[in-house]
Amino acid sequence: MYKFVVLFICMCSVISAEQINQLVINKNVERTIDLTSQLVKITATITLENTGKDTVRNYLIVLEPDTVGNLSYISVKDSLKEDLKLTPSKVEKHEKDVYSVQLKQPLATGRTAGIILEAVFTKGLVPYPNSITQKEKQLVRYFGNHYFYTPYATSKQTTSVTLSSRSVESYTKLKPVSQSDSTLTYGPYSDIPAFSQDRMIVHYENNSPFLTVTRLERLIEISHWGNIAVEENIEILHTGAKLKGPFSRYDYQRDTGSSHHSIKSYRTILPAAAYNIYYRDSNGNISTSQVRTRKDWIELELRPRFPLFGGWRSSYTLGYSVPSYQYLYRKSSTEYVLNMRLLDHVFDDMHVEELETKVVLPVGVTEVQIKTPYEVQRLPDGVTFKYLDQFGRSVIKLRKTNLVEQHIQDLEIVYHWRSGLLLLEPVLLALALYVLFIIVIIYVRLDFSIHKPEHAKKE
Amino acid sequence: MPQVTSVIAKFFNEYNSKTPKKLKCIDAYLLYILLTGIVQFVYCCLVGTFPFNSFLSGFISCVSCFVLAVCLRLQVNPENKNQFAGISPERGFADFIFAHVVLHLVVMNFIG
Amino acid sequence: MAQAGSKKSQLTKINSKTGINSLIIFVVLLLAWIAGFSSRLFAVIRFESIIHEFDPWFNYRATAYMVKHGFYNFLNWFDERAWYPLGRIVGGTVYPGLMITSGSIHYVLHLLNINVHIRDICVFLAPIFSGLTAISTYFLTKELWSAGAGLFAACFIAIVPGYISRSVAGSYDNEGIAIFALQFTYFLWIKSVKTGSVFWAVAAALSYFYMVSAWGGYVFIINLIPLHVFVLLLMGRFSNRLFTSYTTFYILGLICSMQIPFVGFQPIRTSEHMAASGVFALLFAVATLKYLQTMLSKSEFKSLVIFGGLISAGVVFLTVVGLTYAGYIAPWSGRFYSLWDTGYAKIHIPIIASVSEHQPTTWFSFFFDLHILVATFPAGLWYCIKNVNDERVFVILYALSAVYFAGVMVRLMLTLTPVVCILSGIAFSGLLELFLREDDTPRNEDSDDDEQSPPNNRRLYDKAVAGRVPKMKHEQNKESDGIGPNIRSIVTVVIMLLLMLFAVHCTWVTSNAYSSPSIVLASYGSDGSRQILDDFREAYFWLSQNTADEARVMSWWDYGYQIAGMANRTTLVDNNTWNNSHIALVGKAMSSNESAAYEIMTALDVDYVLVIFGGVIGYSGDDINKFLWMVRIAEGEHPKDIRESDYFTEHGEFRVDAEGAPTLLNSLMYKLSYYRFGELKLDYRTPAGYDRTRNAIIGNKDFQLTYLEEAYTTEHWLVRVYRVKKPDEFNRPRIPVANRVVKSQNFVSKKSTKRKKGTIKNKPVIVKGKRLSKQA
Repeated sequence: MYKFVVLFICMCSVISAEQINQLVINKNVERTIDLTSQLVKITATITLENTGKDTVRNYLIVLEPDTVGNLSYISVKDSLKEDLKLTPSKVEKHEKDVYSVQLKQPLATGRTAGIILEAVFTKGLVPYPNSITQKEKQLVRYFGNHYFYTPYATSKQTTSVTLSSRSVESYTKLKPVSQSDSTLTYGPYSDIPAFSQDRMIVHYENNSPFLTVTRLERLIEISHWGNIAVEENIEILHTGAKLKGPFSRYDYQRDTGSSHHSIKSYRTILPAAAYNIYYRDSNGNISTSQVRTRKDWIELELRPRFPLFGGWRSSYTLGYSVPSYQYLYRKSSTEYVLNMRLLDHVFDDMHVEELETKVVLPVGVTEVQIKTPYEVQRLPDGVTFKYLDQFGRSVIKLRKTNLVEQHIQDLEIVYHWRSGLLLLEPVLLALALYVLFIIVIIYVRLDFSIHKPEHAKKE
Repeated sequence: MPQVTSVIAKFFNEYNSKTPKKLKCIDAYLLYILLTGIVQFVYCCLVGTFPFNSFLSGFISCVSCFVLAVCLRLQVNPENKNQFAGISPERGFADFIFAHVVLHLVVMNFIG
Repeated sequence: MAQAGSKKSQLTKINSKTGINSLIIFVVLLLAWIAGFSSRLFAVIRFESIIHEFDPWFNYRATAYMVKHGFYNFLNWFDERAWYPLGRIVGGTVYPGLMITSGSIHYVLHLLNINVHIRDICVFLAPIFSGLTAISTYFLTKELWSAGAGLFAACFIAIVPGYISRSVAGSYDNEGIAIFALQFTYFLWIKSVKTGSVFWAVAAALSYFYMVSAWGGYVFIINLIPLHVFVLLLMGRFSNRLFTSYTTFYILGLICSMQIPFVGFQPIRTSEHMAASGVFALLFAVATLKYLQTMLSKSEFKSLVIFGGLISAGVVFLTVVGLTYAGYIAPWSGRFYSLWDTGYAKIHIPIIASVSEHQPTTWFSFFFDLHILVATFPAGLWYCIKNVNDERVFVILYALSAVYFAGVMVRLMLTLTPVVCILSGIAFSGLLELFLREDDTPRNEDSDDDEQSPPNNRRLYDKAVAGRVPKMKHEQNKESDGIGPNIRSIVTVVIMLLLMLFAVHCTWVTSNAYSSPSIVLASYGSDGSRQILDDFREAYFWLSQNTADEARVMSWWDYGYQIAGMANRTTLVDNNTWNNSHIALVGKAMSSNESAAYEIMTALDVDYVLVIFGGVIGYSGDDINKFLWMVRIAEGEHPKDIRESDYFTEHGEFRVDAEGAPTLLNSLMYKLSYYRFGELKLDYRTPAGYDRTRNAIIGNKDFQLTYLEEAYTTEHWLVRVYRVKKPDEFNRPRIPVANRVVKSQNFVSKKSTKRKKGTIKNKPVIVKGKRLSKQA
């Protein structure tokens, strides 16, 4: 019975969800597709106009059906660069990846407004051919849409595609189109009906690192002694064109050109206060890394043990400590607030397939509240034991898939904790030592010999 | 040969007269152990030593019981007092028990 | 124990002097521990907390397995990743003491919730045990001589290079804990001989059990202690104490040692252990005899009994010999033969001779490892011989046998080192007693026993010694009376200087010679900057990440443990050299030409071949330098196919340049090492293909590999990994690299299925025919 009620409510909500307001039109769309890295970054500046009579509060964004699942990040800003609220929604025929933007000010009849859409897609670039030899260049193909996919009619639109290099094998030519340097410009096109699609294919050379973090385990350990330890276990995979045939060190050493599809090293940015940095893997320390201190951050140049070619994987552990006063605040006498990044920088234009962040709270915390910057999956809490713990420390585990740089945002955890607990372990240790000494004293004082008179001789 | 028998007879007399009662107890125990060991050996000769570790643990435990008892006898014997300075009979017995605890733990493990 | 003991005396006797004494002892031992511990940390500080060398990697892997899967699973562990396709029963072929020790430390720490990684425990185990060794050496020397000598010995052993060489942090090997077990067993044995207590004998047996579980060198104990007993018997020093301690020790030690699966029934089956049981029987016979003697006290019958005893001893000996011939008791194993006859290994077992640590010791290494101790320990030995008693006989025998063994094998330097430290401690203590003590004469001679030695030939020897002792004493006294305070202080200062030199030498040797992890190399640039060559781990990590999980890697056996430990891949042979023919097969593959090697490699399902090549950076321990051993070992098993002489030039030289033997220049090892090396110019002065290790331009430069392809080569070319091609890969005609680009996925697959027959018909048949004709 209850189920039916729930179902009914759901259906109602679906039906009542969104209607496409045909009277809103996109007056002008300027779209930039950035294909310089391994990610597809689309920025669209939309000028919309209300041609109807009612004021419009919401604007719908619908993603193309073939990019569903590849979307990693989406945000909408108004013309003043302020974030607009984005809620997942549904319209007819489009079950997924429909977002409803709540406009800051309702759009009155005949008025126009500008919004900026920013979306990042992963796995949008497919290496073609998908395996190459060591000397070859890496070519990739991008499959897109000549038109901006939208549920509204569009009056005028232009698209510019930024590529990483000048050498383009081929691209679809829907006129008017022009290539200048490493940029392709499509359009302007005018009067495009809603939901129109036309396949755009760009086949070009892209030697930027195609590096995917297949799994990132981030462990944050809070100690109220004044230190927060961060450890990241990272598995990376070169997702570019696979290496075919032999790897020759001789050719590799001769080929000193910087633009090569293999990955020699990359930069990781750590917080400025990080210290005790270590970079190791299951076989021990990796000695080929460099730490450079910048003004506001620490730059770490990490070199994997071996250059990564297509299809090669590697894994490592990166750890450091930061002083807790920068991240841990005291709200009231027993209430603490932790502000740490849920995900931190691994390399530029990174793509993280799976993230698991674990936060180890101190012993004896209660009333834990978590505020995440975006939706994450919370796994059941765990318990771990550290140095001489009597009671375990609770571990908060969060998981999310498909992340990019834009997801580097703060996680907030509020918990209650009594500072007296800090002294528990030293006291226990002291007690244990005390008991040990007492036992030794008792042992020395007592006489365990069976035969009294012989005692002196037994020594 | 009669020489030998007379020697043996003399030996028995000496033994009966000189040896304290405690030591005789130990000697009886030794004899029992010796017989057990011989029985085991004969058995293994007749039947075979198939679970070799079982046979070994049985036989070695016999030998070591014998050895330990001999040691105890030596330590308890008042004649050897000056050689075992600092080892009273009680201490000797405690050692004996300790050694047996160790021995039988090992034998248990080994017998399979 | 030291703590408890010192406290006890502190409390029971309020006399402050003993309190200070025990405090000094405690502090000195503690400092020795700390000094020993910290001087072993050079490698950790310079490099990192890492397992060193080869064998430790296996121990570490086994320990990690035990920690992960539990003790019983460890004992039943069948490792299918080693000795492919045979596999290895690890539980039954290791001395588990080391793993159990670190595993239990790990367990205890984790009970206390101290989360230490097992690797760190393994790395620091040997330095920690060196402290325990120092303490047990102190106790042993204290029992032998005096507390002062004990402190000297403890300090010596804490820092002596001969022992450090096997116990630096990261050198996680059996010897690290075994030396402690050795010293402790000896201490307990001496203690039990002195007191005649069953308790100490049982403790010695338990300590011996630990030793058996830790190291194959336990055979040294089980032969040395019976030898001690035997010599004491010969010297007429039989006592009931000796009887109780030895019989208890032997019988308990025997049954304990059989608990280790690897040892099994060896203690009653092999000749190495027979001496101990013989002495056991002999001791029983002597004891019975003595007993009868006390009861009968008639000489005629005694002789009768002696006669009987001799007959029984003869019978025992004959049974042992008979059983040996009948096969019940295994004869001496090869390694032991090589102890007696140094040339034996070279002729019969090249695999033992190929290990550098099985070579005879040079004089240089004696001095290098022991420094001044090598000069002072005869003095200590002399002191002991002069003032001989039951337990000093032991240390004399220990010293003599250890000197011999150390001379035979570099590796056994390790057993010599403790006794050298003990005797040098005695020597120094004796010297300083002479030159520092002014109030009374040394009281070393007070421990003489008042027992009567039975009349036999040996008494003469005793007499001679006894006659000499007082003389020496007089001399000493005269001297010490004669020398003024100036001489005394000069001598003291000289001794101090010697000791300081020793300490400096130890630190220097440790830091320079023994603190290299050997899997990480360091080179120094002209400006003093240090460059780390991490090629081994680079290659192993590459293997672990980028090959299939079940891939089989063929390499020379030296690298087997490291591949298993760091790359976690299946190996064909490894440092546990139990199967000579398998190693010979790998050696044959390495020393034959490519096509013959391919046959072997496909038979063994090899996926990757790993070779070590030092030609670029001048690393001398590479596979080309080891190559002759591969050839020799292969020749031992396959004399028809491999002949050592083929690899030498006409003048009998081993050369890699153009004048080298053609068999060598076409062998698989040569090709794999030098593949494309001929094109490489290292710097402007040297021509292309210049091998820095052997200082030669390589002879065979431009060649292609048919059956293998380069899979990975590390940054400094130190490790080269090749992939063995599948048969369908090289049967296809060779396509130039440039043409490969255009092929699409579909095209390739079509070719491999349909057109395969056609291609075989055309070109490769010739290739195949060639190969076949070569084989025939």
